[in-house]
Amino acid sequence: MNSGTPSSSAAGAGSADSTAPRRNSKRPKYSRFTQQELPACKPILTPKWVIGTFLLVSVIFIPIGVVSLFASRDVVEIVDRYETDCIPEALRNDKVGFIQSDRSKTCQRTLRVPKNMKQPIYVYYQLDNFYQNHRRYVKSRSDQQLRNNGSLQDTGPCKPEDNTAGGPIVPCGLIAWSLFNDTYGFTRNNQQLNVSKRDISWKSDREHKFGKNVFPRNFQNGTLRGGATLKPNVSLSEQEDLIVWMRTAALPTFRKLYGKIEVDLQRDDFINVTLENNYNTYSFSGKKKLVLSTTSWLGGKNDFVGIAYLTVGGLCFFLALVFLLIYLIKPRQLGDPSYLSWNRNPSGH
Amino acid sequence: MAGWRGSRGGGDGTPSDDRIASSQTVRLGKVQPQAPGHRTVFCNDREANSLAKYKIMGVVNLFMGKRKIRYIHSEVNHIESQMIAWVHDIEVVASWSGDSLQWLLLWIVGLKGALRYHLLGFLLWLRTSEGNSVSTTKYDVFTFLPKGLFEQFRRVANLYFLMISILSCTPVSPVSPITNVLPLSLVLLVSLVKEAWEDWKRFQNDMSINNSNVEVLQDWNWVPTPWKKLQVGDIIRVNQDGFFPADLMFLASTNPDGVCYVETANLDGETNLKIRKAPERTWDFVSPDKVSEFKGEVQCEQPNNSLYTFTGNLIIDKQILPLSPNQLLLRGCSLRNTEYIVGAVIFTGHETKVMMNSMKIPSKRSTLEKKLDKLILALFTVLFCMCLLGSIGSGVFINSKYHYLRFDTSEAQFDPDHRFVVAILTFFTLITLYSPIIPISLYVSVEMIKFIQSTQFINNDLRMYHAESNTPALARTSNLNEELGQVEYIFSDKTGTLTRNLMEFFKCSIGGEVYGTGVSETEIGAAQRTGVKVDAQKRSSAASERGFNFDDARLMRGAWRNEPNPDCCKEFFRCLAICHTVLPEGDESPERIRYQAASPDEAALVVAAKNFGFFFYRRTPTMIYVRESHVDKMGKVQDVPYEILNVLEFNSTRKRQSVVCRYPDGRLVLYCKGADTVIYERLVDGNPDLKRMSREHLEQFGASGLRTLCLAYKNLKPDVYESWNEKYIHAKSALRDREKKLDEVSGHQYSQPNIKKFQVAEQIEKDLILIGCTAIEDKLQEGVPACIETLSRAGIKIWVLTGDKMETAINIAYGSEVACKLINNGMKQFVISSETEAIREVEDKACHTSRRCFSHLGDQIELARYMKELVKNELKSCHEEAQKFLHMDSAPKLALIIDGKCLMYALDPSLRGMLLNFSLNCTAVVCCRVSPLQKAQVTSLVKKGANKITLSIGDGANDVSMIQAAHVGVGISGQEGMQAVMASDFAIAQFRFLTDLLLVHGRWSYHRICKVVTYFFYKNLTFTLTQFWFTFETGFSGQRLYDDWFQSLYNVIFTALPVIIIGLFDKDVSANLSKKYPELYKEGIRNAFFKWRVVATWAFFAIYQSLVLYYFVVASSKRAINSSGKLFGLWDVSTMAFTCVIVTVNLRLLMMCNTLTRWHHISVGGSILFWFIFVFIYSGVALPNKEQENIYFVIYVLMSTIYFYLTLILVPVAALFCDFLYMGVQRWFFPYDYQIVQEIHRHEADTSRIGLLEVGQSQLTPDEVRSYAIMQLPGEKSRHTGFAFDSPGYESFFASQAGVFVPQKAWDVARRASMRSKPKTPRTPRTPRTPQRN
Repeated sequence: MNSGTPSSSAAGAGSADSTAPRRNSKRPKYSRFTQQELPACKPILTPKWVIGTFLLVSVIFIPIGVVSLFASRDVVEIVDRYETDCIPEALRNDKVGFIQSDRSKTCQRTLRVPKNMKQPIYVYYQLDNFYQNHRRYVKSRSDQQLRNNGSLQDTGPCKPEDNTAGGPIVPCGLIAWSLFNDTYGFTRNNQQLNVSKRDISWKSDREHKFGKNVFPRNFQNGTLRGGATLKPNVSLSEQEDLIVWMRTAALPTFRKLYGKIEVDLQRDDFINVTLENNYNTYSFSGKKKLVLSTTSWLGGKNDFVGIAYLTVGGLCFFLALVFLLIYLIKPRQLGDPSYLSWNRNPSGH
Repeated sequence: MAGWRGSRGGGDGTPSDDRIASSQTVRLGKVQPQAPGHRTVFCNDREANSLAKYKIMGVVNLFMGKRKIRYIHSEVNHIESQMIAWVHDIEVVASWSGDSLQWLLLWIVGLKGALRYHLLGFLLWLRTSEGNSVSTTKYDVFTFLPKGLFEQFRRVANLYFLMISILSCTPVSPVSPITNVLPLSLVLLVSLVKEAWEDWKRFQNDMSINNSNVEVLQDWNWVPTPWKKLQVGDIIRVNQDGFFPADLMFLASTNPDGVCYVETANLDGETNLKIRKAPERTWDFVSPDKVSEFKGEVQCEQPNNSLYTFTGNLIIDKQILPLSPNQLLLRGCSLRNTEYIVGAVIFTGHETKVMMNSMKIPSKRSTLEKKLDKLILALFTVLFCMCLLGSIGSGVFINSKYHYLRFDTSEAQFDPDHRFVVAILTFFTLITLYSPIIPISLYVSVEMIKFIQSTQFINNDLRMYHAESNTPALARTSNLNEELGQVEYIFSDKTGTLTRNLMEFFKCSIGGEVYGTGVSETEIGAAQRTGVKVDAQKRSSAASERGFNFDDARLMRGAWRNEPNPDCCKEFFRCLAICHTVLPEGDESPERIRYQAASPDEAALVVAAKNFGFFFYRRTPTMIYVRESHVDKMGKVQDVPYEILNVLEFNSTRKRQSVVCRYPDGRLVLYCKGADTVIYERLVDGNPDLKRMSREHLEQFGASGLRTLCLAYKNLKPDVYESWNEKYIHAKSALRDREKKLDEVSGHQYSQPNIKKFQVAEQIEKDLILIGCTAIEDKLQEGVPACIETLSRAGIKIWVLTGDKMETAINIAYGSEVACKLINNGMKQFVISSETEAIREVEDKACHTSRRCFSHLGDQIELARYMKELVKNELKSCHEEAQKFLHMDSAPKLALIIDGKCLMYALDPSLRGMLLNFSLNCTAVVCCRVSPLQKAQVTSLVKKGANKITLSIGDGANDVSMIQAAHVGVGISGQEGMQAVMASDFAIAQFRFLTDLLLVHGRWSYHRICKVVTYFFYKNLTFTLTQFWFTFETGFSGQRLYDDWFQSLYNVIFTALPVIIIGLFDKDVSANLSKKYPELYKEGIRNAFFKWRVVATWAFFAIYQSLVLYYFVVASSKRAINSSGKLFGLWDVSTMAFTCVIVTVNLRLLMMCNTLTRWHHISVGGSILFWFIFVFIYSGVALPNKEQENIYFVIYVLMSTIYFYLTLILVPVAALFCDFLYMGVQRWFFPYDYQIVQEIHRHEADTSRIGLLEVGQSQLTPDEVRSYAIMQLPGEKSRHTGFAFDSPGYESFFASQAGVFVPQKAWDVARRASMRSKPKTPRTPRTPRTPQRN
């Protein structure tokens, strides 16, 4: 880059230039690139543009916000937090002891339907303070093993849930090991409400990530049982609870789809929930919630998007007004030379 | 070795004993058997020169140590003798030409398989590869990778990423090694490819040089041979205009007297021809037959890098001939005016002086880059804090209650019992995770941008192309582009920089009488200043020839004979004609001859002598021939040969030049010309009137902006001369310690070695008789005043540092229409001069006490003390006054004028601060009579003391130190020499191109680099902070948010190109507007775009955006995201977040653009598009061996939901909302200057293209056009009018001198009538104007 060796260039010129006459013009050739004259548009952020942009954003955002807020409001959601209530009052001092004991953990809950709910009604469980996104947790799985029958031994990242005396664990790793094992049964007016477990996971997961001919092995055989067991004769790709659970959540508070109720629910229906409160969230004081929710075209109940759109749109509208006002009251003349610093302050510095 | 010599030494003659002796010493283990300062070359005898071997032994010695070397030596000797036998056997001895291939064959045939022979072969290969081939490459095939990588890892950023990469291979890493290895290797790859490409170009260059042919004497014939095959001792022939392939000893030339002419432009840039002279003994070795008989031995110094020294002896037939630089033809020079020369190779390849001279120019780093380091350091601090926070969090978080995480003692990082260990390990985890906060590709991107800026934009700018000298601008380094946009102080040389260095003899003073009627540019300026109108047209009739712009009828065309003291005139002209080192070229006729002079002043003086009738037309090493039109013999032209006995050369320390010559009648005269100060010191006592008047004239000339020289002579008595000459020659011809001996002869003790050399001269250059003085005008360069005005409007302060007299400098600097507009009448001037009455008095006092000024030590000290006190007081009062002005409202601008002597005291550490404080308040500073060293001192005073960004511009060797001292050095190319250009960072052809260089390229570059750097800072901070926020929600485990590949390609692919585009194409205002509003430049001086405030603003927005990016994405994906109630997992959220980051960051870049070319659209659109293409492919393909397929199918899942699109619109808009608001408010209420200018000219198309067609004129105001016109008058008009009717021309002039009849012209009569003195000759030519007499 820098010709730090004058002599080489000198000697180089020696052989090269000797024949070349001096009149060879060294005039640079014209090109738009080298003369830095590429055609360009020069946007200037004039007050009009500022006001216009803000207005434009508000015009687009406010309707989107309204629509998505309405969509969110259409969704009916029943949330029932049960982790404390499902422990007999006498034992609430030692929740961990209770959950680890062999007592019956069945628990009855009654939910009131606040509004008509159209089927399908999605059943979720929500866990709190559960770090599915912990580094140790996230990496503790073997996709190879899940997908491929031949990769049983591929338990590299699964420690400490990788092997038992009887061979490698399938599915291995902490994620599978800690599979959620509370169960819910629903009755309305003593009539069983079927919970469908089909199609609760993403199709791509079922088809590509979990093998059709991979079956559980040595699962939950160890000294410590982390959670639910799997049906030994069902291939992993059909164990949708596991598939849902294995798609780890981004945040420590998360919902997972448990199943679908494919019956409409009427307003003020009472639904009895029979739940098996098996999963230990007590040791880390995690909450457990049961959620029944319909969906809109947009998805579940999430006011955030609508509010965010409305806020941004509203703010832009407000700012557009403010700037418009300033523009009308005290307009800044474009390109007024008196704004130039050396004109404002003639002495220079 | 001895055996080898012995076996072949039969025909070598006498020196063979020597050689055996020296090889004996080798055997004893001495690496350099001969004295270190001494080397022997056997001419015309290849095998005799074993020099290369010693060198290799030296190299081997480095590796193996002495004992092994000794063994190898004996082994090599042994094997060698064996090999010689082999070689004889297979009879290929004769064909041995040093070709390594043949040697290889020899091995295979002769020496089968023995391992030690391989070593020998290697040594031999090394030896044969020595020779004259040169290599300027940095690497070769084997060293490229290790050495290149080593160079790369000297950069802290790369080293950091190397460490991170290593760290990411350990289990603490949350990311796979690819995350950090990939960007690092890409960055390294780019850098290495660049290095390799550059080295390849160098290699090809080397090859073309090494393979060019030269004729070598072989078997009584000249055989064309590639340069690389040349060996020490070879006899070669170089033809006219050919280049010398190695350092040669000059043996013979086709010219008579064994001289040749060389051009040294490649060495020192001086384009004048130099004479070299062969030793008389070898003059006749011209033909191959003759040369083949030549057998000589050269004993000379070891190779060194001093271009101007050489000591050696040539031994022919036991006769010792001293060799000097005069007999040395250096590689890189070319032969001129000589059919061919014959020489013996003395130094080859890397031992040649020019190669020994090739040194790395210390690379400068720009201020912005240094500040960038601080920014990186700040980022490191932020990184450290983030990691610390995270690691504390992890220590707190870790708890066995999270049973599903199975924290136990099996893994140290997840051991709840040792929280401290957990914290420490997590710290490293987090460092790896957050590593993208350090922008790895920043340096390589910035380097690439700057490289393109300098090679494509600056080097190719048509506005900076000077058509007359055919010189485009040249950026010699690409490190300092943006520094050009922040220059606050310019230190400018005067001669050749502000002025054209086109010297014209303008006036003279002979024997106390002023001659010359011209009015200098500066005088016109001065006159206009005072309101007097001067008719500029008057000048037009004066000049007649390049270098001669003199008109005075009293001297011209022989009229000087009628002047009061014609003898003095005669000495004056003779001095001009004899005392110089000019070479005549071309025909020996007055109009066709061309003079080759070291400096244009010299040429101007010789031209002047020619015009006065003392035509110097031929030079031989011993003679100067002058065609004189003699006083005594009227009308006769006489060719007078003067024998030149000694030439005491000019240099900047001596400031004078003397010639001792012998007239044909035997008269011995020393002619001396030099600066007035040095000449006056050496004048003989007496004749005070002449001295006084001449001094007055000198001052008067100086005031007119002219360069003056004093001429003096001295008649020498033969005996005095002889005794001096003996000493002189003795000192000169000493083989060793020449300089020391010269010093002894002189008896002076000087500290600087280059002064020592000339001390002998001191003894004779004394008691001179003053003749008079000359005044040479140096015209201002085109456009200089306008340029200076523009620059000062840009807030740049220009200091003129010149070696000229104070009056000259002030007048050049004075603000008038024609001269530079540095100083004007509105300014308060402070003059600190040593030429005051008070100082003179003290000087005189000192002179009284001892006869010679300044020789008495005590007085000198007293004088120094006095001067210092005086300067101190003066400075103090100036400073106080300046302070007073500073607090006034309508303060006048201040100007300081100081001369070198006072500056010497003012630069004293005790006064330096005051000088600095005061001078920084001045808008203009002129330092006159400063030495090169002082120039550098002043520059570094401002650079270091005031921490301002400085630029030095100069054209000559005396500016080199100043150029190197300043932040940015600019050389004026295409004129005096190349030293300044060689030392500079940028070279331009004209001073006025500084406006383009600074205001356009510098400013743009500064803007662009600032944008690039701050944008890099922003995008990496934003990206990393989203990661950081996520850490809080993962139990501080260091779980990565993004996929490995996303993270690794973020910097090098998804956001790499647009930022380079902005670094190349962003343009706030057009080039023309940059120059029309030079004040815009002040933003750069204030560093308005890379202050901590700017960085903090960016940091604030980075934090804001990262919060929006992370939390908005997370919050909008908490619930079911489609009508089938499904949910996003971690990787869905992260991919969505990453998409938002890519879009946001790229859109932010568009927002900061001032201009949008199609490249902006392509690069920004392309980056976003590429991300989608990448993620489609990446998530669509299941890699067979990957353990975790987190991203598999994610993007398709995402894109099947409406949420994704809603978020993709919402998040970037919300993230950029604040930035947009800020930009709108900033522009509306607190606009930058460039923004106003943009607005003023918002409706104008970019007109620069039209302007380009008439570069030079288009940007000028009417005033400037007029001043241009005035400046161009003399040159332009004279060319047409001068010969047409004004002057009779030389032919008639010399014809008349020769007695040939020339018809008289009417105005001759008119002129004679107006002459004061009686015209003695009717042929005296004159001008139509009435001569102006003072």
